[in-house]
Amino acid sequence: MSDIAATATLDTSGKCCPMPMVETNKAIKSLAVGDVLEIIATDVGTRKDIPSWCERTGQTLLSMTEKDGVINYHVRKDR
Amino acid sequence: MKSMAIVIRDDSYDKILTPLAFAYLTASEGTQVDMLFVNWAVKALTAEGAAALRIDGRHAAEEAMVREGVAKAGLPVEIYDIIKALKSTGCVNFYACSLAAAIFGVNEGNLIPEAEGIVGAAWFLNDKAAKAEHYQYF
Repeated sequence: MSDIAATATLDTSGKCCPMPMVETNKAIKSLAVGDVLEIIATDVGTRKDIPSWCERTGQTLLSMTEKDGVINYHVRKDR
Repeated sequence: MKSMAIVIRDDSYDKILTPLAFAYLTASEGTQVDMLFVNWAVKALTAEGAAALRIDGRHAAEEAMVREGVAKAGLPVEIYDIIKALKSTGCVNFYACSLAAAIFGVNEGNLIPEAEGIVGAAWFLNDKAAKAEHYQYF
């Protein structure tokens, strides 16, 4: 678990591509710059999708942890 | 990526999922996606045709499993509902190829309202596909 405080949490557990990314894009739009989005995922495809999405869209991946098949991301909205 | 053009020919339920998923993925990020439905796939742009899509050939018996997997993935199970979801992004345009429409029985009367219309392939290939950053054919 991360100590980073999240502004909002998006739980995509059980869902697969494209839905985690579709829902992440929707969720980030509803946040303000500086807010932190916690994303919970079980789709292993997000291991590469989320970091590359952050780089592409100008967000900052603050943390990425994985335990028992659940991947937890914290993304700060920077733009 | 700013724009993507996709031509869809395969019309079986399982094979049409991939281009629709790719379009959903990129459109959710703001990419403009233009999709041309050709050959039998043009029927997916009618309510009746979309509802009739099935898995063909050696995987036909596994359709229930595939539909269950689609639901678990979080996508709408019905193709028309996926099309509606894509349209709701505001970044996806659906076009019916005029040749395919003429051959396979699609017209402006049965075209779903989410589709932009029936267009010539020359227009799509030159004004959409050739100008898109990325082009895919399914």
